[in-house]
Amino acid sequence: MNPALLAFLKKEFIQALRDKRMRLILFVVPVVQMMVFGLALSNEIKNVRLAVQAVPNDRLAHKIGERAAESGWFHLVPADDAEPFELIRTGRADAVLVAPPGGLTRALARQSGEAQVLVDATNAIKARVIENYLNAVLYRVLRDENPTRAPEAAVTFDVRVLYNPTLETSAYLVPGVMGLILCLVTILLSSMSMAREREMGTFETLIAAPVAPWELFLGKTMPFMILGLADVPLMIALGVGGFHVPLRGPLWALFLAAAVFVGTTVFIGTLISTFAKNQQQAMMGSFLFLFPAILLSGVMAPLENIPAAVVPLSWLNPLRFFVSLTRQVMLKGTIGPFYWTNLAALGLLGAAAATASVQRFRRTL
Amino acid sequence: MNAVEVSELTVRFDSFTAVDRITFAVGVGEIFGFLGANGAGKTTTIRVLTGLLSPTEGRVRVAGRSFADGARTIKSRVGYMSQRFTLYDDLTVSENLAFTSGLRKIPPAVSAERIQRLLRFVGFNHSPSALVRDLPGGLKQDVSLVAALLHDPDIVFLDEPTAGVSPAARSKFWALIRGLAREGKTIFVTTHHMDEAEECGRIALMRAGRIIALDSPAELKAQSFPDPLLEIEWTAGAPAGWRESLLERGAASVVPYGLHHHVMVNNRAAWDRFVGEHTGRLTVRTIAPSLEDVFIRLVEGADR
Amino acid sequence: MSGEARRFILGRALSIARKEVRHLSRDRVTLAMALGVPVGLVILFGYVLDYDVKRVGLLVIDRDQTRVSRSLVDVFAAADYFSPLALPPGATPLGRLEEGRAKAVLFIEPGFARATAKAQPARAQIVIDGSDNQTTSVIASYLSGLQNAASRSLVPDTGPPQARLRTRFLFNPELNSRWFVVTGLFVVVLGMVSVLLTALTVAREWETGSMERLLSTPVRPLEIIIGKLAPYMALCLGAVGLTYGAARLWFGIPFNGSHGTFLLACVLFLTCTLAQGLLISVVTRQQQLAMQFSNLTGLLPATLLSGFVFPIESMPVFFRYLTVLLPARWFVVACRGIFLKGAGIADLALPLGALAVLGVGLVALAVKKFKTDVEP
Repeated sequence: MNPALLAFLKKEFIQALRDKRMRLILFVVPVVQMMVFGLALSNEIKNVRLAVQAVPNDRLAHKIGERAAESGWFHLVPADDAEPFELIRTGRADAVLVAPPGGLTRALARQSGEAQVLVDATNAIKARVIENYLNAVLYRVLRDENPTRAPEAAVTFDVRVLYNPTLETSAYLVPGVMGLILCLVTILLSSMSMAREREMGTFETLIAAPVAPWELFLGKTMPFMILGLADVPLMIALGVGGFHVPLRGPLWALFLAAAVFVGTTVFIGTLISTFAKNQQQAMMGSFLFLFPAILLSGVMAPLENIPAAVVPLSWLNPLRFFVSLTRQVMLKGTIGPFYWTNLAALGLLGAAAATASVQRFRRTL
Repeated sequence: MNAVEVSELTVRFDSFTAVDRITFAVGVGEIFGFLGANGAGKTTTIRVLTGLLSPTEGRVRVAGRSFADGARTIKSRVGYMSQRFTLYDDLTVSENLAFTSGLRKIPPAVSAERIQRLLRFVGFNHSPSALVRDLPGGLKQDVSLVAALLHDPDIVFLDEPTAGVSPAARSKFWALIRGLAREGKTIFVTTHHMDEAEECGRIALMRAGRIIALDSPAELKAQSFPDPLLEIEWTAGAPAGWRESLLERGAASVVPYGLHHHVMVNNRAAWDRFVGEHTGRLTVRTIAPSLEDVFIRLVEGADR
Repeated sequence: MSGEARRFILGRALSIARKEVRHLSRDRVTLAMALGVPVGLVILFGYVLDYDVKRVGLLVIDRDQTRVSRSLVDVFAAADYFSPLALPPGATPLGRLEEGRAKAVLFIEPGFARATAKAQPARAQIVIDGSDNQTTSVIASYLSGLQNAASRSLVPDTGPPQARLRTRFLFNPELNSRWFVVTGLFVVVLGMVSVLLTALTVAREWETGSMERLLSTPVRPLEIIIGKLAPYMALCLGAVGLTYGAARLWFGIPFNGSHGTFLLACVLFLTCTLAQGLLISVVTRQQQLAMQFSNLTGLLPATLLSGFVFPIESMPVFFRYLTVLLPARWFVVACRGIFLKGAGIADLALPLGALAVLGVGLVALAVKKFKTDVEP
């Protein structure tokens, strides 16, 4: 191996791994974060606080409340005699079922039952889900009440969910969080690298030596790629072993995607680094890359909804492609055109970042 | 053949001319001193000679190589100890030196032997596995010198190597520099300290991008002070306006020097009359001019 | 402590603050970062983060090919949530799902129309790609609404339901997800930027040694902390003003609460985050580490665990309690409460109290860590 590259590898590894706090950041923090997010996060709306406001003898209204609590989505909170609006405004309830005057039971006997539901819509997503939950509960209550005249729908849908039939949040979130953490670690490492040499003055040592620009460039990028890739098996093991995320596709496909991804992020970090005059600017630069990258990754919000004007921006986001790739390999498992086009897009992005940072590198030498 | 040959070298940054048509040569085995105020163009010149910066105009040959051969061939033949501290302070001494030898592609066996020899040469008696951060300033300087010498360069460029180092460490460092010159290496050094400049075989004085004087220290003194230099001290208080009257009557310059004044006489008869007028209140000694006197004079001359 | 001594402390804190302001006013990059970045990111991502799932690619496999089956497809198309796709020759339905060309497949088997004519339940199968379950759960919830719509439009004589729930969505009647996104985004962006600001500037002072100089004067740690916090607080409140303007004018988010309560919540929250940054820099004393710590400890927990997107109520109990330590989690509640619900101080006693406790705790921790550094 080229002795200059070898020297760089040794030097960067020593610098990154000697400090205990750096080792923590590199290997412990990613695993801990993955565990926390894997365990904690869920898209499912649960523990909705429901209050039922009805006269005590309104059997049907209270039955809806009981059934809702049994479903596991809701738990009941006392309605007291408070104004339903106040219950929600003060945050004591997320939804209030208000029976019609005279009670829902009597109204139903007249074939015209209508109850009002107030839902806190500060969280718009949650509000819609609560509405659907309550309709499902009502449907079941009515069927139980009146087995002969079941309000059978004329058309029914048999819904099957593929790849993640139980809608397990961790199965879809863990591959995404893996990408987020990997991106964070590699960008942080590489964006500081050149800025630090420049601030410490050791940049002079590098440029006074008779090394070719490409040797310098590889020397300042390869070590971080290797350090980043070292996190990959750790995270896959945790995801598959700890969270039972399926790994339906071949392992090599996952590693190939991770390698291309890590290469791309390290090149982007290096590019940020060549623009930064000091470490502070490097850090701000990396934050300004990371924050949009995370929000546009498809982990935080569905990518389908991105406004057309911003779509080209998301094509510049390596995280977006990597998250698609890990989900494809782990959950779907087929290595087809989808895999290869995403990988090619990621590779293209990496090549562009490499070219740009080599250009900037030459200019700063 | 000379170690360094520079003719009509000019370096411009945008509209600013840092180095303005300078020409000089440095012989093999010479200790060549480069003096001048900050911003005079010393460091820019060194960066050209070490291959870090391309000249805007002019011809440069270092160790027989020119920029036409590629900056890297120059870099491989010279050692450079930058003004800035260029060791990694979070690495140990031996890790730093191992990195430099890797960077310069020195075979491991050769570099191990050289590191041993050079550390002995600079008298490094600390543990090589100490972090550079924990070393005292003088020792860091020694290690930097070792790093600059690892690839056994013919020419060593030292840019203010003793800035911020104790006087004892400075004189030790200069003993090392003389030792290197005896081995036949060419030393090119910039400094602010006049006592260090006295150690050089020849010195060049730079000002505003130009070389305004270049010779051996003794020759520079002789040229700048053809007339004797006197040190005077007023033992019983100086009369008002004495400097002006002295300058009118026969002194080329009167420069305050601590409690004394250095006076350069160009009209002997007038000076003798002046001394006669102030007998008993004035002590006069003839002194050899220091390099500092020389530079004050040269710089004033260039300003005029 | 006597009044005189107290004034003395304030005076010294003030002189540190004045020095900091002078630094800041020259540091254009930091100023731009503090004032421009929050408002820029909120505007950009207020648009980008859209949780209303629209135009989901629905592959239609109609093996019935009747008027009734086609009008079922029309029900899907009319709903705006789905855009029906045809299966290209040579492709398989599941293959299209795997490749991500479609999100869901609608299978209509032969006999669908006959079943509706005989008033038997007509069945259609829908297969959804579950690899992104955020979208999946939204699609699933759309489907139950569509099922009723389809029943009514295909078989018009279906009797009216015996009982109905009429839902009123309070505080956001049109379920505009932007209202929810922008109020949360505001918290996350402000929190990140403020942590970064203090973490770096103070770490830089350690590195350049000017902190040692400051510590060698008889200034007390508390005075240093207050003197450092105050200018950044002012700067961040400027950013709050800009972001507030963007939320109101650009996105038309309603503001139903009182501005005084909002200001109080902002000051409490910023005290927490600025002190957090200070603590990081006191502990690490190195820019590189400070940056890595604040990005790693700040970015992901604030975006993922604050309730900004992922509901806190759905977390396992242990993690629900863990989020109590996150200032962002409380500020999200306070912000959404003040903006959308018009909540007052009394309504927000818990979140504001929690922010106050966290703020005092973090400042105290930073002071204590400082003290142990000064007094060996």
